[in-house]
Amino acid sequence: MTKISYTFMHKTIFHIDADAFFASVEQGFNPRLRGKPVIVGGKENQRGVVHTASYEARALGIRTGMPLFKAKALCPQAIFLKGSYDHYRAVSEVFQEVYLKYTPQVEFTSLDDAYLDLSGAAHLYPSLQWIAAAIKEDVYRRTGVTLSVGISNTKATARIASGLNKPAGVVCVPAGQEKEFLAPLSVDLLPGIGRSAKERLLDLRIFTVGQFARLPKMVAEQLFGKNGIKIWMYANGIDPRPVKRRIIPRQISRETSFEEDTSDMKIVKGTLQYLTERIAKKLRQQNLLCRTVGVKIGYSDFKRHAQTRSMEYPSNDSGELFTVVEKIFTELHLRRIRIRHTGISVSQIEPQNYQRSLFNEAMSRESLNSAVDDIRSRFGFMALMPADTLELKRKYRMDAGGYILHNPALTR
Amino acid sequence: MTFEDIFEPIEVISYFKEGKLRPLRFRWNGRVYKIKQLNGHWISHQGYSKEHHYSIISDSSDYFELLFNSADFDWQVARVCLGG
Repeated sequence: MTKISYTFMHKTIFHIDADAFFASVEQGFNPRLRGKPVIVGGKENQRGVVHTASYEARALGIRTGMPLFKAKALCPQAIFLKGSYDHYRAVSEVFQEVYLKYTPQVEFTSLDDAYLDLSGAAHLYPSLQWIAAAIKEDVYRRTGVTLSVGISNTKATARIASGLNKPAGVVCVPAGQEKEFLAPLSVDLLPGIGRSAKERLLDLRIFTVGQFARLPKMVAEQLFGKNGIKIWMYANGIDPRPVKRRIIPRQISRETSFEEDTSDMKIVKGTLQYLTERIAKKLRQQNLLCRTVGVKIGYSDFKRHAQTRSMEYPSNDSGELFTVVEKIFTELHLRRIRIRHTGISVSQIEPQNYQRSLFNEAMSRESLNSAVDDIRSRFGFMALMPADTLELKRKYRMDAGGYILHNPALTR
Repeated sequence: MTFEDIFEPIEVISYFKEGKLRPLRFRWNGRVYKIKQLNGHWISHQGYSKEHHYSIISDSSDYFELLFNSADFDWQVARVCLGG
């Protein structure tokens, strides 16, 4: 009886993370890159930052987020690659195929990062380590990418465990021993503890997860607000979050830097409209609506301004979203300095599971969007575009998937 | 070692077997390259059409990424690795 309730109480959650994902994919598909420092994010003479560095490049001091020119100065022999989202997505689909052989409960948090709930399936295999080894072997054989695996009773502990023995490590935390396992680890390994939070904790002489876990819950709340309670629970090995097959993103954003700083408002607005189109398409594809829209402007003197605005009702219509974007941009763009970077974000996202309006105008917009999406799914994203975005043709090359922006995002 | 985006049309000899397509040799810039090693294959989607990407090493030990578009049956050299 005790054993049965124990089985039901404890979950078996895998957190699987690909090691230096983008760089590993490039090395996996090109043997000439193996064993060499590879940097994905852009060419060495381009603007932008390091997105991923291979372990060989990391050993030479290259870090994610470092400007490309600095990476070049530090490691002139490195191979700089722009990367390809399509390629990384295709590899991520192979991961998904492999994971789904073991459990239907798979939650992808990014292209290379997933939680698997094996609570109901683990008994079918010889051991948890056996499953981890089989998944790693299958993925490596098919893509050349190595995986690190953390296994635990909760998502938070599994995530921390997967990061402890990189690359290609497997760390298994026995059920019921999460708190003891976490106690000696550095406090900044907890999800939610960034650089400034770590500094606050160091001022209080809190260095380890165990020391943070021993604080009264109220103190954690005073330190970090509502988030403090969550972090305190993680530190104590508690995390009730289930593995969800579908997650609603908190924010979706699209941004780009211009190849040259520009004061051409047609190009800036065309870019904003293009990015809005892409976000609206993503929302509709996932049956989501958003209530808040944000615009970001980066000037040539590196100063940045951002502003958000909420709409009366949630939407995924590109026309409605762009009306808000234009208003924000007009209010925000007050400086007479050339623009270097721009971006759009949407937040307060919710599923679209109800009829939004009874009135004709909204319904005809929905029909129009549905027709546009249908045409794009057949002939590619660029098959139908708002006329203003065609201004971008002067600046960017395009293919059926869209404009080839300067330093396109590699994660979407 | 540098990578160049090329996207130039090429002629390819390939074979289809068990639902899979595999390039064997191709002509680019007047020269014929024999495919010595197929490193990997992935697919991207553009609307209903599929683009098949092949990462290969030629008999000249050069690295190429070849692209086959299922909509118009055209092959291209997408990328080439120079030097190194």
